[in-house]
Amino acid sequence: MRVSVLRQQHPGSDPYWETFEYDGPDHNSVAGVLDYLNYHDDIVDTEGRRTTRIGWECSCLQGICGACAMVINGRPALACETFIRDLKGPEIRIQPLRKFPVIHDLVTDRSSIHENLKQANVSIGEYRPSAKTDHAHHYAVAKCLKCGLCLEVCPNYVNGRTFFGAAFANDCYLVASRNRSKTAEIRTLYAEHFGKDCSKSLSCMEICPMKIQTLASIARLNRGKL
Amino acid sequence: MKHVLIIGSGISGMACAVRCAEQGIHVTLASPFPSERSQSVMAAGGINAVLSGDSQGDSVDSHIQDTLRGGCRLGGVRAVTGLCENGERILRQLEGIGTVFSVDPQGRLLRRAFGGQSYKRTCYCGASTGKQIVSALVMEVRRYEAQGLIRRRLWCCFHSALIREGVCYGALLFDEAFGGLDAVCADAVVIATGGQNALFGKTTGSTQCDGYAAGKLFMQGAELKNLEFIQYHPTTLETAQKRMLITEAARGEGGRLFCRKNGRTVYFMEEKYGPGGNLQTRDVISREIDALGDSVFLDVSFLGKSVIDNRLSELRDLCAKYGGIDVYREPIPVRPSVHFFMGGLAVHLNHETNIRNLFAVGECASMYHGANRLGGNSLLAALYSGNVAADAIAGREGRQTAPPDFSAETEREKQLLGQDRDTQSRFPVMYIRDLLAETMQKNLGIVRNEAHLTQGLKDIDYYLSIAGRIHYDSSVMPYFNYSLTAILTLARATMACALSRRESRGAHWRSDYPETEEAYQSATVMAYDGGKYSVRLDKERAYES
Repeated sequence: MRVSVLRQQHPGSDPYWETFEYDGPDHNSVAGVLDYLNYHDDIVDTEGRRTTRIGWECSCLQGICGACAMVINGRPALACETFIRDLKGPEIRIQPLRKFPVIHDLVTDRSSIHENLKQANVSIGEYRPSAKTDHAHHYAVAKCLKCGLCLEVCPNYVNGRTFFGAAFANDCYLVASRNRSKTAEIRTLYAEHFGKDCSKSLSCMEICPMKIQTLASIARLNRGKL
Repeated sequence: MKHVLIIGSGISGMACAVRCAEQGIHVTLASPFPSERSQSVMAAGGINAVLSGDSQGDSVDSHIQDTLRGGCRLGGVRAVTGLCENGERILRQLEGIGTVFSVDPQGRLLRRAFGGQSYKRTCYCGASTGKQIVSALVMEVRRYEAQGLIRRRLWCCFHSALIREGVCYGALLFDEAFGGLDAVCADAVVIATGGQNALFGKTTGSTQCDGYAAGKLFMQGAELKNLEFIQYHPTTLETAQKRMLITEAARGEGGRLFCRKNGRTVYFMEEKYGPGGNLQTRDVISREIDALGDSVFLDVSFLGKSVIDNRLSELRDLCAKYGGIDVYREPIPVRPSVHFFMGGLAVHLNHETNIRNLFAVGECASMYHGANRLGGNSLLAALYSGNVAADAIAGREGRQTAPPDFSAETEREKQLLGQDRDTQSRFPVMYIRDLLAETMQKNLGIVRNEAHLTQGLKDIDYYLSIAGRIHYDSSVMPYFNYSLTAILTLARATMACALSRRESRGAHWRSDYPETEEAYQSATVMAYDGGKYSVRLDKERAYES
């Protein structure tokens, strides 16, 4: 099987495609494919030319840390839970996330997610829940990986300078609903950096590896019913 | 203004950072990744605490006794007492910052049974307790970031500590952002880098936890303790890239272990240990499975859809995704795997190492768990140890004089790094890491003996002898290359600790010394001086009391 990877040696250098032949196990995930290409033997492209090892991030390898987010056959996904058997076509095409600066190959700088939350000081501080809390939704929202997949697919998210995207909206929901004294302040921030520009394509919900129902967070923040 | 450098931003690092910031101390929180990528998010089952007004008759003393008994009397009474006495305070603090615990309709914390414990005292958040605590702590850290008290430094890996005459003054960090070394001075350095999973290759843990910091600090004079006590979790699922943890919560909720003999289903743990058989301590169950030699399964199907969906949904999804197993209908094939390290950097009660102003917290420090850790005590220890170290630092005068000049050492390390970077070699350091993992898995398993341990030492000595002479592929992150020797050194120390303990206790089981010996009821302490390893038993309990 052919595996094409969009590579980039350094931040700012030109990206280029490189193609590899994968002859490893067919039950592997894309994370397994990258590991196999890197360390099964010397790494060479399909023409037999030696090349450098492919840079990518991983930690848990079980879909709960978000490190290995990338674009696989045009669809943003976590490499550790995308299996070869589920991919269509004779080739796997892997690119880094496109909404974040590339550091090296498939490694991107997603620190803007955290910077935006920090800048807006989205924090619970003290647990003072509203009278009727939706525990199940809180639990789901707090599982957000900050992987960036929701921002990658969002038609409204560009570079995170003004519109902060679903990861921000969900953290806003968690704060507003778990500390009622912050509800008004957080709703203002939410409106400024999410509410006024979200076109509700809801692609964020479809792509989320944790299946977070962002629409529920949005609806409650919009209505002020937390 | 006092300044603390914390290396590692999982639960113990964040707990320490928050507690420092609460006391007005400035913190640099350095890690290669954001906290969401830390191994802490993988802690599943829960956190132990005895809550006041407990109607089951549980008590803090019972938690202390269970922890000491589970640790086969190697855990120190004072340390364990502090841990258990602070359980409720820590739980209430986590609630107070908004952690999404599983609660009853009245909002009271739910608890489940865990192995080796006399009462149901494990509070939990579904089966993603670590992740939920990380999410709450990230927000709390963010609050202090906004106040300018905590500063996160991402893309930073530990390189070495700045030590002069037994005192730590800061650390050299490898900063991937500019690809070089940066000397950071601080009044205290706290190591919170997790366990040494990478020594064993495929484990239940994160690929990021490799033990490098402990190994490097050992080479710089810090002592290590109890390295031979390695917890094999009895229930993990084999997959192509790792061993997936099947949380103890599955058995806490009633799940049953069985094997098949002559077409008959045998609940081997219940047959041998009675109705509580499935909740024996992890060392006992792992050893029983190892001795069986047969395929073992964990059945949760009979618990019903409601229990599985409400309390074990993460386990259900993980089995379906990575094993193609429908837990509503099928049992889960399980096998023990390396999961947790009771040993690590030797620390005093205040979590300071033998090097002044150098602290260690969380799994990289050896303190509370003795020869075997109880499930639910690791999250508690991560949080508590972070608090203890922060309080010790807060109670101490900040440095009044300028730190010594480390520019010559820094320059030398920069040159060494530059030499590594200039090589044209394509040989990957991972090949040696893979060989090491094979050696460790083969020779430091659930049951050990002198022949295997001696062979393991011989193998590692060989890897160490060639490690410094090979040029490694410079196209990978420099961290992977400069970390190898310290990782091998830690592995060698681990093997030597296991060889020196000629008895069986907790997670350290020797087929050639099957009895628990009174003479060994002390921690193993390992020191390093210029290539010389020396091991001793801490009979005076200098490190843990």
